Amino acid sequence: MHLSPEEFVDVVEGARSAESVAHLAACEVCRTQLTAIRAALSRAADGDVPEPSPLFWSQLSGRVNAAIDADASSRRGWTSWLQPRVLMPMSAMAALVLVVALLPAARGAFRSTPLRLLAPAATPPAVDAVDARDTNDQASDPLLAMVGDLSATMDLDTVADAGLAGQGSAERAVSRMNDAELRTLKQLLQAELGRPGA
Amino acid sequence: MASSLTWTLPGTWPMATVDDSLENLDERALVEACLAGRREAFDLIVERHRRPVYQLCYRFVGNHEDASDLAQDVFVRAYRGLRNFRGQATLATWLYRIGVNVCLNRVSARGLPTEPIADRQFVDSTADVAPDRLVRTERQARVRAAIARLPRKQRATLILRMYHEMSHQEIAAALGSSVGAVKANFFHALGNLKKLLGNEGL
Repeated sequence: MHLSPEEFVDVVEGARSAESVAHLAACEVCRTQLTAIRAALSRAADGDVPEPSPLFWSQLSGRVNAAIDADASSRRGWTSWLQPRVLMPMSAMAALVLVVALLPAARGAFRSTPLRLLAPAATPPAVDAVDARDTNDQASDPLLAMVGDLSATMDLDTVADAGLAGQGSAERAVSRMNDAELRTLKQLLQAELGRPGA
Repeated sequence: MASSLTWTLPGTWPMATVDDSLENLDERALVEACLAGRREAFDLIVERHRRPVYQLCYRFVGNHEDASDLAQDVFVRAYRGLRNFRGQATLATWLYRIGVNVCLNRVSARGLPTEPIADRQFVDSTADVAPDRLVRTERQARVRAAIARLPRKQRATLILRMYHEMSHQEIAAALGSSVGAVKANFFHALGNLKKLLGNEGL
C-alpha cells in the first residue's frame, strides 16, 4: 500500500507523519513519486506573472470605479419602478385606462337589459315606464348624471355662448314670451296641428 | 484633522481622491466605511488588492486582456456583495474566493484558455536583455501555459496554494469542497504539471 495523495501533499509541505516517514524509507516507488512532486512544485514556483505597465494599475482602479457607477445606475433603473413617486401616478393612470375601457361595456349592458325585457311584451310599454327607464339611465349613468348636474345651473345666455341657442333661434324667442303670448302660441299650434294633412 | 490627497494621471481615469484618514484603518473598518457610503474607502481596498487579484486572474486565463477584465469584475462583485464580508477570513482571501468563482465561470464559458509559449507581450525585445533573464522569462511563460491547461479545480487549487498562500481549509471553503479533495487536487495538479512540462528542468 503506497502513500495517498493527501499523505504526499502533507509530506511535501512538511507535515509528515511517522507512518509516512517509515513507508518512504521502505518504498522505492513512493520515493520516486515524491521526488517528482517536489520537482514539479519547484518548477511551478517559476510561474510569475509578467508585470504590466505602471499606468495599468490606476487604469484598473478607474475601470472598477466606472463599472461600479454603471452597475449602480442600471440597478437604480430597475428599482426606480418600485418607488412610490413612480408607482402612484402609474397606478392612477392604469385605473383611469381601466375605467375608460370598461365604461362603454357597462353602459351597453345596462341599456340592453331593459330593452330585452321590453321587447317580448304583448302591449307597447307605457310612457311612464319608458320615462322611468330613462330616469334610471340618467341616475345610474355617471356621464349623464355629470352632464345633468352641469346643465342644471345654466341659463340661456350660457347655452347661447356655447353655440347651442343662437340669437335668432326659436328656443330663445319662446323663452322670452309672457304667459299670454305662450297661450296664443299654444292655440295657434293646436289649430295648425288640427288641420287636415298636418 | 483629515486631509485629502488628489492625483491625476494623464490618459487614465481623470481623478481619484483618497482620504488620508482611511489609510490607517484596518480591513474591517475600511469595509464599514464603504458600507457607510464612503466610496473612497473602496478605492483604497482596490488599490491594496488589485495586484494579487489581477495576478490570480492572469494565472487562470493566461493573458493580460482577459485578466484585467476579470479583475475588474471581481472588484465590482466585491463592492456589490460587501455586506456579505463578515471578517472571518481576511479581505484578500474573500477577494480570492470571488476571483476563483469569476475565473472558473469564465473558463467554463469559454473553454480552456491557452497562453502561447512565445507570448512576449510584456517583454521589451528592443531592450538589452540578459540571456539568462530571457531564458527565465520563457520558462515562466511555459509554466503559466502548463498551469492554464490544467483541469479547473486542479488549476484553482494550485494557483491559490502556490501563489496566494491560502491554506487547504481556505481553498476548500472557496471551492466548496473538502480539505481531502483539495489535497488530492493539489497532488494531481503537480503530477499533471510534470507531464505537461515534460522533463524540462525537472
